[in-house]
Amino acid sequence: MIARRFVLLSIAALLVMLFGVAVGSVSLSPGELLAGLRGAGTTHGLILWHLRVPRVLLAFLVGGGLGVTGAALQALVRNPLADPYLLGLSGGAGLGAVAAIALNTGTAWAVPLAAFAGALGAVALVYRLAVVSGRRLDPRVLLLAGVVVGAFAGAIRSAIIVLSDAPRLRNAIVWLLGGLGSASWDSLLLLAAYSIIPLVVLWYVARQLDLLALGEETAAHLGADPERLKRIVYLAASLLTAASVATCGIIGFVGLVIPHAVRRAWTPLHRVLVPASFLAGGSFLVLADALARTVMRPLELPVGVVTALVGVPLFAVLLRRTLTP
Amino acid sequence: MGILHFRQWCAAAVVALAACGSPESGQRSAVNGRPSTIDRPLVVIDDAGDTIRLARAAHRVVSLIPATTELLFAIGAGDAVVGRTVWCEYPAEALKVPAVGDGMLPNIEAVVARHPDLVILYLSSQNAQAARKLRELGIAALQVRTDRLADVPRVGRMLGRLTGHEPGADSMGRAFADSLSAATVSSQNHPLRAFVLVWADPPMTVGAGSYLSELVERAGGENVYADLPASSGQISVESAVERNPDIVLVLGKATPAFAKRPEWQAVPAIREHAFVFADGTEFGQPSPRAPSAIRFLTGQFRAHQAAGARP
Repeated sequence: MIARRFVLLSIAALLVMLFGVAVGSVSLSPGELLAGLRGAGTTHGLILWHLRVPRVLLAFLVGGGLGVTGAALQALVRNPLADPYLLGLSGGAGLGAVAAIALNTGTAWAVPLAAFAGALGAVALVYRLAVVSGRRLDPRVLLLAGVVVGAFAGAIRSAIIVLSDAPRLRNAIVWLLGGLGSASWDSLLLLAAYSIIPLVVLWYVARQLDLLALGEETAAHLGADPERLKRIVYLAASLLTAASVATCGIIGFVGLVIPHAVRRAWTPLHRVLVPASFLAGGSFLVLADALARTVMRPLELPVGVVTALVGVPLFAVLLRRTLTP
Repeated sequence: MGILHFRQWCAAAVVALAACGSPESGQRSAVNGRPSTIDRPLVVIDDAGDTIRLARAAHRVVSLIPATTELLFAIGAGDAVVGRTVWCEYPAEALKVPAVGDGMLPNIEAVVARHPDLVILYLSSQNAQAARKLRELGIAALQVRTDRLADVPRVGRMLGRLTGHEPGADSMGRAFADSLSAATVSSQNHPLRAFVLVWADPPMTVGAGSYLSELVERAGGENVYADLPASSGQISVESAVERNPDIVLVLGKATPAFAKRPEWQAVPAIREHAFVFADGTEFGQPSPRAPSAIRFLTGQFRAHQAAGARP
């Protein structure tokens, strides 16, 4: 049963990715599409192989990562409102990006690297706060520390924006809104390098997350080590989110809603929820990005706008359906 | 032939009379020692549709738009400017005027501290609130749009009327129209196809309605994104690949960092570093210096076309 559903979900993901490659700001007929895919040197081949394929793969990896992170963090802090950016990450990443743009270093990778560093800095600070105030990692303290660190980083970011070259920084804010426009094979490889280990780790500990859901004491009785588990989940989720923020800014809604949708449509068991959230989150972001690229051609919408515009009604329907007896 | 002469003479006489009009009224008021418009209040309807009525010409003006700061100096009202934004860098005299902020979210207190009798704001919803607040404090607030070439003489005249520099504004407007038509390149069979890249990540360009697009077109170029439904917006790299511009126009003076990013290598003009660098405030704001900006672009475009034509 579970296996069959996974096969179906994987096939759906593949179809969505094919769709993502087939549509874009340049519309191609099926014939042009096939010719382009065969001839990498032509203009259409360049568009497909150089821009669209890496973009679709990047969208899938980012969306999947956000889905997994959301599922894991919601289990960790035992709060349905948890999302990947809750724990101070987005604040730290935003601060890093804005600082890099304000300093105008002139190197092509400065902004993503600074965002990554900022996110990791925020993670370290939150982690330190949450562990210091008690020997164990208290999810409530973690949550509060995340909010506080995020607010602090946001304040510094606003101060930088006010104090320096505003037109340039207006664009920094647009960058933070998120988008997959800077996708390339390089950024895909970079993200993959940072994502694979945390993804595998989170999948590996998914079964223990089911124990954690029963309460920390029960989990300990059943053979899990809750303290170690919480730390692993927190660090893996943070690394995953930091890498995705660095490559494509802050893309909201996916990490919050995909796990809930999978839970309602399928199962709350984490050993299924985690991989299913990966496939669903990836497919959802690929679809949202395809819409963002095509609805207003040649203008591109920020993908975060589409994830919310499409995702909220879908989720509302799902919520109603599962609530009504 | 005689009739033609007569007509020309008539036209000349009308122009002469019109030209006499304003200095005469100016002299009369100077004799009375009263403001020049005591009998004709200064009235302007701004771009928000609000009526701005001044009892006498403004002589303490805070300009919260770089373009209007430049215009005030261009029409001879530079002495009246007592406040500006941190972005107002032209002309050099403007830098001697105290800056009151970045102009986006006006700091009312800093503006009021300059004791202005007129504040100029860019037309936006945020500024509308600021304008209301200033009016409550008894300070006239003018909201204008400065987005296009045509706004230069139009807003110039508004400012001329409110500051009592109508002749200056009129002559600036006439000189602008003349040099603009002189600088404009007549349409070509194969115009250089230009991609105006105002920001790289995310990629942002300008549509047909924008000032930069107007400059490009008058310089004999063609904006490859002229079909954009907005005056500016975010586009995708792949559409830039398909539109295949001859050159990429960037604001600045050196090859931008994004040119090295892998995703941009798919655009031939960027791969080949076919950049035109538009450096200077005359490219960033509608300006009386637009004709010289156009001449600069024309020269750059021709150089690129000559280089491209070589076998």
